[in-house]
Amino acid sequence: MSRRGLRAVAALVAAAVTGATLGGAPLRPLAAQEAPGTAAIVSRALEHESAGRNREAIDSWRAALASGVVIPAALGLERVFSLLAQEDSLLVMFDTLVPRYPRELQLRAAQLRTLITLGMNTQAQVEFGKWRALAPTDVAPYREYARVLLFNNRAAAADTVLRLATETLGSTRALVLETAQMRSALGLWKDAAESWREAMRDEPYYESAAVFSLSPTPRDLRDLVRRELGVPGTPLGALQALALLEVQWGAPRDGWRVLSALPPSDTVVAIWRQFADEVQRVRAWAAARDALGAIHQARPDGATAVRAAAAALAADDPVAGLRLAREAAAALPDSIALADALPLELDALARLGRASEAVRVLAKARPALGAEGARPLARHIAWAWIRAGDVARAREALKDAPLAAEDAVSGWLALFDGDLDGARVALRNSENPGQDVISALSLLNRTRESRSAAIGQAFLALAKGDSVQAAQRFERAAADLADAAPLLLALAARIETARRDEERSLTLWKRVAAEHPESPEAAEADLEWARGLRRRGDIPGARERLEHLILTYPSSALVPQARRELDTLRVGAVS
Amino acid sequence: MRVVRIDPRKLARGVARACAIAALAAASAAALARPAHAQHLLVPMDDAQTNHLKAYGLTFGAIGDGARSEWLLNYRGGSFLLPDLPALRRQAALAGVSFEAVDGARLVALRREIAEGNMDAVPLEKAPRIAVYTPPDAPPWDDAVTLALVYAGIKYTSIWDDDVLDTDLSQFDWIHLHHEDFTGQQNKLFLGFRDAPWFVQARERDLATARRHRLADIPALKKAVADRLRGFVERGGFLFAMCGATETLELAIAGKDVDIAGPYSDGSAMDPDADARMDWSRTFAMQGARLEMAGGVNAMSDIDGHQVNVPSRRQPLGTFTLFGFSAKFDPVATMLVQDHRTVIRDYYGVTTSFARKVLKPGVTILAHEEGAPWVKYIHGSYGRGSWTYLGGHDPEDPQHNIGAPPTDLSLHPNSPGYRLILNNVLFPAAKKKPLKT
Repeated sequence: MSRRGLRAVAALVAAAVTGATLGGAPLRPLAAQEAPGTAAIVSRALEHESAGRNREAIDSWRAALASGVVIPAALGLERVFSLLAQEDSLLVMFDTLVPRYPRELQLRAAQLRTLITLGMNTQAQVEFGKWRALAPTDVAPYREYARVLLFNNRAAAADTVLRLATETLGSTRALVLETAQMRSALGLWKDAAESWREAMRDEPYYESAAVFSLSPTPRDLRDLVRRELGVPGTPLGALQALALLEVQWGAPRDGWRVLSALPPSDTVVAIWRQFADEVQRVRAWAAARDALGAIHQARPDGATAVRAAAAALAADDPVAGLRLAREAAAALPDSIALADALPLELDALARLGRASEAVRVLAKARPALGAEGARPLARHIAWAWIRAGDVARAREALKDAPLAAEDAVSGWLALFDGDLDGARVALRNSENPGQDVISALSLLNRTRESRSAAIGQAFLALAKGDSVQAAQRFERAAADLADAAPLLLALAARIETARRDEERSLTLWKRVAAEHPESPEAAEADLEWARGLRRRGDIPGARERLEHLILTYPSSALVPQARRELDTLRVGAVS
Repeated sequence: MRVVRIDPRKLARGVARACAIAALAAASAAALARPAHAQHLLVPMDDAQTNHLKAYGLTFGAIGDGARSEWLLNYRGGSFLLPDLPALRRQAALAGVSFEAVDGARLVALRREIAEGNMDAVPLEKAPRIAVYTPPDAPPWDDAVTLALVYAGIKYTSIWDDDVLDTDLSQFDWIHLHHEDFTGQQNKLFLGFRDAPWFVQARERDLATARRHRLADIPALKKAVADRLRGFVERGGFLFAMCGATETLELAIAGKDVDIAGPYSDGSAMDPDADARMDWSRTFAMQGARLEMAGGVNAMSDIDGHQVNVPSRRQPLGTFTLFGFSAKFDPVATMLVQDHRTVIRDYYGVTTSFARKVLKPGVTILAHEEGAPWVKYIHGSYGRGSWTYLGGHDPEDPQHNIGAPPTDLSLHPNSPGYRLILNNVLFPAAKKKPLKT
């Protein structure tokens, strides 16, 4: 949104505030002057404004002003003229109205906004001075002027105004919000955090503003902010702001740690819910699991337990997922439990490889589900048997409730059987291919072979979570499938790298680089080889590999990374 | 019998240089045997360049190895012309520096174009010996010059107070000053960091150095260092300073015999007549500046236009514009402003800019902010040497707070601001030509 657009919104907000305070003492004299029928004029002006008929809106607001609707009309004119970039047209109006209603806050604030937008800083300063002189003990002139300056990115000038307020009024307690914004704008992060904390003692709903304001804190200064917002006795709003800041800073579990120690109360649980919504939005599943689990524990609720179980499974925590799914089932009516909690329970059991248990659970639910209802759940049973290492029973499970041929589970089963053609067709048509499907397809697309028992066994070992066997079988399969050999070796090497078996991974990467220098995996092999050498302290060797990568595969996407790592190795060489 | 003493370091340097030249000669011979190679490599420095900063390192390395190189001023952003050697091609490829092969015919056309326009070809004959005045312990802020040198792969020697006071600075051609406060007030950081371990440690280290040199306090130590640096320039050295080192070096030199430090630094109040007693005839660039007399105000003087650490005076950042100079008549200034951008986003530092009103008449303004009462980048001669000041701390980090992580230059390989720094590193390598005016 443009700056003028923003200003129009600000004016609109001000108008809303005005509306809320119209019954207040300062405005009664103005309201009393309104002529009959003014409501219709105001309504027409608003209609024109919302329809974008700016000229007509101006005429209507002027008519409203003439009939005594001073504040709404002045703010309406401010909105329209700022949208037209004709703020100078407002000057005469303010010159007339402000002397007539010198104590009217909305008029004063709008006048300052206009003058600053027009760059008439000296004039704005003069008007601010007049307002101060009129109300020497009132915080409003300082607050409104500081806000206008902050809105226009003039934090240093706002600082001067706030200092003046401290000197004149003796305290900036009433200006703590503006002080916090000013300090953030000046990059005084520690002081800003302190001000936000104090601001939220009386007004806890500022947590979003605090997060917006403090989120740009540089990484190395964030501990200062953490300390200020986390001191003992800090208001709940400040803790909530800190938790949300941690989410923004990429540490959602630290955010949950801030909130998790709070004794549960209705307010705290409401804060937890907001936090859970936020971490779920950013797909921080582990933090979502913890937050939703805690909410469920404090205020047991089946729907929350379902969300917590789903978050746990997304966080790859089937143990928690199973527990929460069962707690959800216990708390929900049967029909909802079958629809929402049962699939999660079966998914968790499948991931844990507890196939017999999954079969029993589904059998128990089958009468209520019916054949059609049980059918989509058969894939969980199949996966459970795969995880348990029993492909025959997995196939049996699918036979009981036959799925479409292109279902991912049948694709995987075909692959485990070594039926590469069948797997190719089924996996290619997977509805939501995950990283595992993509990896399998990248291999299947590299070979023209129709069958390979070795590849099937390797993927089956991987599915069972047996990474040692999987790596060995991928390496062995490389001997059978010459056209996919570099990829199979790379798969084995990636597994060994993830297992931190330095010796084995280095041997495999060396093989890829030396035996398959023309393959797509060769650049990756060079990079990983170099990293392995660097970890062993062989800096010249690592440098040689990185240089080889850059010079031999100049168009590889890994070249920029190789250059960065080469630079890192060189730093020690510069005296 | 007369004993000839050979400095082993010089001997090692000589051997290394001989080996490098031999390697380049061998590479040249190999290149000659391969007709596919051109005669020269043009390293463009306009938008065709993929890594401007490393291009300086490539050129610097080539000069260091004895390869005949030229700086083509105002030609495609200040390009470099290097001999076409396999070793250089390899280094360029490794660094990600773009280059174009130039055969004889293209070279003739290129030279004709240079002769006809506001351009010139300056031979680069000798890699300057570089020193960076930098504290032995890493402070919680980094130094743009050091970052640029490391990233470009240009070697340098670190020096600190003992080295400046005790050793012969003429062993260096070019000295860069880290962000030191030569008034000895540690950038007045005691206002916010007096208990920070790094601040306490730096203060104790400097006090120990002062005692070792029988100097009363840190202001006395830093003034002595400043005076040695002044002498280095006077005797023909090149000095480059950024950020707060610019302003405080001027103040320390002008205030050599005046108490210009607050009581926190030397136990005594500033001389109330300090402004009147400053000797500006000794300084490089400034005159008539007014010192900041208030100890609680984090500013040194009115030299800096932006006053970033004084909230009530702080000026917003804009952009600064590089001046264009005549390459044939004013090659030094032209070298210092070679860039692929002429308008560059400004960035804060302890000293961000230099107020026009305090500049000496002979100072060359290399960059300024349009319509502002300050300039950004200045240069001048002093004695037989020259100096350059660039305001601000880090061209790619406009705010740069203390404790912020260092800039990763691999994310800014085309930084126009960092190019200004590297222009300064390279320009002492240029062969002096007799001025045409």
